[in-house]
Amino acid sequence: MQNNNQKKVAIELININKSYQKGSNKVVVHDNFNLSIAKGEFVALMGPSGLGKSTLLNLIGGLDLPTSGSVIIDNQRIDTLSEGKLSTWRAENIGFVFQSHHLLPVLTAQGNVELPLLLTALNSKQRKQHASLALRLVGMEERAKHLPKELSGGQEQRVAIARAIVSDPKIILCDEPTGNLDRKTADEILTLLTTLNKYFGKTIVMVTHDLRASEYASRVINLEKYIHDSKQNQLSAVEVNS
Amino acid sequence: MNIFQLVWVNSFRKKTRFSLTCISVMIAFFLFSILAGINHALTSNVSSNNQLRLLTSHKISLARSLPINYQQKIAVIAGVESVSYASWFGGFFKDETNQLAVLAVDHNSYFEMFDEYYISKLQLEQWKKTRTGLVVGQAIANKYDWKVGDRVPLNSSIWMNREGSFTWPFTVAAIYQSADGASGEKQIFFQHSYFDKARAYARNTVSWLTPKVTEQADVDEVSQRIDKLFVNSNGATRTTTEQVFIKERVQQFVDMAMVIKLVVIAVFFTLLLIVCNTMVQSNRERLNESAMMKALGFSSLFLIAQVYLESFFILALGALFGCMFALLCLVWLSQLFANFLPGIAIDNSHYLSVALLVLTAATLCSLLPALTLNRLTISKTLGAKA
Ligand SMILES: Nc1ncnc2c1ncn2[C@@H]1O[C@H](COP(=O)(O)OP(=O)(O)O)[C@@H](O)[C@H]1O
Ligand SMILES: [Mg+2]
Repeated sequence: MQNNNQKKVAIELININKSYQKGSNKVVVHDNFNLSIAKGEFVALMGPSGLGKSTLLNLIGGLDLPTSGSVIIDNQRIDTLSEGKLSTWRAENIGFVFQSHHLLPVLTAQGNVELPLLLTALNSKQRKQHASLALRLVGMEERAKHLPKELSGGQEQRVAIARAIVSDPKIILCDEPTGNLDRKTADEILTLLTTLNKYFGKTIVMVTHDLRASEYASRVINLEKYIHDSKQNQLSAVEVNS
Repeated sequence: MNIFQLVWVNSFRKKTRFSLTCISVMIAFFLFSILAGINHALTSNVSSNNQLRLLTSHKISLARSLPINYQQKIAVIAGVESVSYASWFGGFFKDETNQLAVLAVDHNSYFEMFDEYYISKLQLEQWKKTRTGLVVGQAIANKYDWKVGDRVPLNSSIWMNREGSFTWPFTVAAIYQSADGASGEKQIFFQHSYFDKARAYARNTVSWLTPKVTEQADVDEVSQRIDKLFVNSNGATRTTTEQVFIKERVQQFVDMAMVIKLVVIAVFFTLLLIVCNTMVQSNRERLNESAMMKALGFSSLFLIAQVYLESFFILALGALFGCMFALLCLVWLSQLFANFLPGIAIDNSHYLSVALLVLTAATLCSLLPALTLNRLTISKTLGAKA
C-alpha cells in the first residue's frame, strides 16, 4: 500500500472487515484487509475458492458493502453512498464482466450493449453509435444483429465486455471472465482485456484461476499469500510500536 | 431502445405462456362485459315508443287471472285512453318441445294498440271475422310452413276446452311482420272471445290488461289510480309500464346484479391468480438478468416498472380483445332480443371499471415480483453462478 505513492491511486480498500451472518454463525471473510490499486493497473487476483475474491470485487464495484472499513474509488468514498446514488455511481464508473455473461436473451448483441446507455443522457442515435463503437472494439461489429443464442461462448463474452466498456468507465471488474472458455478463446479474451488496459487506460481487476493470466496482467496478487504477508507486517508494526 | 421496447420483447419471451395468459384475461373480460351489457338492459330506463302502454296484472302473481270487466272499470279512469287485454295460452304445436308464445287477445282493440305488428288491413279484417283465426308471426309461419287458410291445431299445457281436450282447432287467418325482423315475429294471437267461450273453466277472466295512457297523462299517477281502484278486492292489481314488466320477468329468473357481482369477483381473482403466476414465474426465470441490470446501474424501481408495464400490457391486451368480442356479441344479442329485452348495450362507465380493474390487477400482480426485485442482492444472485 506504500509502494504506489508516485502513481495515482484508483482503488483503495482500507481496514475492510466483511462477514456474513449464516444462521446464528458469523462467517468472517475479510478481517482488517487493505489493498491499493493504481490507475492503469491490470491486476489478476488469484487464490483458492472461498477465500473472498468475488467478495472483494463486489466491494470495489459497490455491489456489496463492507461490515466496516472504507472503500475509496477515485478519491471518493463509496461505501457510505445511498443505494440509489451507488446505482448511479456504478453506471458511470464501473464495468462488470462475469463468468456467466448474463446477456438478455431477447436482445441482440447491439441491444445488449446499448442497455447501460439507457441510464445516460445520450439520445437514441448516440446510443446506437456508442454501442456500435464498443462492438467494433471487441471485434463483434458483424454480429451486432445476432441474439446471444446465435453466438459462441467467446463471442458472448466479447459482447459482455462491450457492454462493460460502452459507458466508458475507468474501472473494469472481471470475475473469472474466462472460466467457461477453452484455452484459445480464453487467450483472445485476455488479449482483448490487455488492449483495453494498455491502449484505453482502463484499470482492470480480474479474479481468475487461469495460471496464464499472469502473462497478461501487470500485477498478480495471490490472495492467500497477500493476506498472510500483510498479517505479518501488521504484527511487526505492532511490535515496533510497543 | 427504451423501457417500452424492453417490455415488448420480454413479454413475448415465452409466447405460449403469454398467449394462454392473455386468452384467460380475454375470456374474463368478455364475460364481464357481456353481463354488464345485459345488466344495462335490466337496470337502465330504456326510452321507447311504447312508454304510454301499461301492464296491469294480479298483485300476487302473473299466474292469477283478473276479471274481464276490469277493462271497463279501468277505461273510465282519468288519463286512460283505451284498455286491451290478453291471456296466456301456454301453447305448443304437436309436442311440448315446440313451445309457442300464444296469446288470446281482445280482437277489437289489441292490434290498434300494439301497432308494432304489421298486418295488412285485409287480413286483419279477415281475422276479426274468423272466430278460430290465428295471427301468426312471419318467422313462425315460415318455420312450420303455415299459410293463410291452413287449419292448425294447437295444444295448451294449461287450458282444456269444453270438449275436454287440450288440443284446440285453429285456422291461420293473418300473418304479421315486425320491424325487428325474425326476432319480433315469433308470437301467435287469437280471439279472446273464442278462448273465453270455448274453455272449460275460469271464464270471464284475463291474464293481464294493457291500459294505454293519454299523451298528457303522468304514467305513475295513472298506474297508482288503477291499483287504488282494486286495492280492497280479491283481484288487487299491480300496474307498471310495459318495460318495467319485461325487466321484472327476466329478473325473476336471475338476480342479474348479483350474478354480475359474483362473476366480477370470480373473474378478478382468477385473473389475479393467472397473471400473478405468470409474472412471478417470468420474474424468477430472469433473476440473474435482473441482478445484472442492477449491477449495470438500473434501479429497483426501473425493474419494478418493467414488471408493472408487462402485467399491464398483458391485462390491457386481454381486456381490449375481451371487450371487443363482447361488444360484437352484444350487438348481435341486442338484435336477437330487441323485443324481449331492449337496451342491451355497454355504457362508458363500464370501460372505466375495466380500466380500473386492469390497473388494480396490474398493481397487485407486480407486488410479489417487486418485493423480490427490491430485496435482490446482486452479489448473492450473480455470485451463485460466477
Ligand atoms: N451473500 C453471502 N452470504 C453468505 N456468505 C457468503 C455470501 N457471499 C459469499 N459468502 C461466503 O464468503 C466466502 C467468500 O466467498 P467468495 O468471495 O465468493 O469467494 P471466492 O470468490 O474467492 O471463491 C465464502 O465462504 C462464501 O460462502
Ligand atoms: Mg468467486
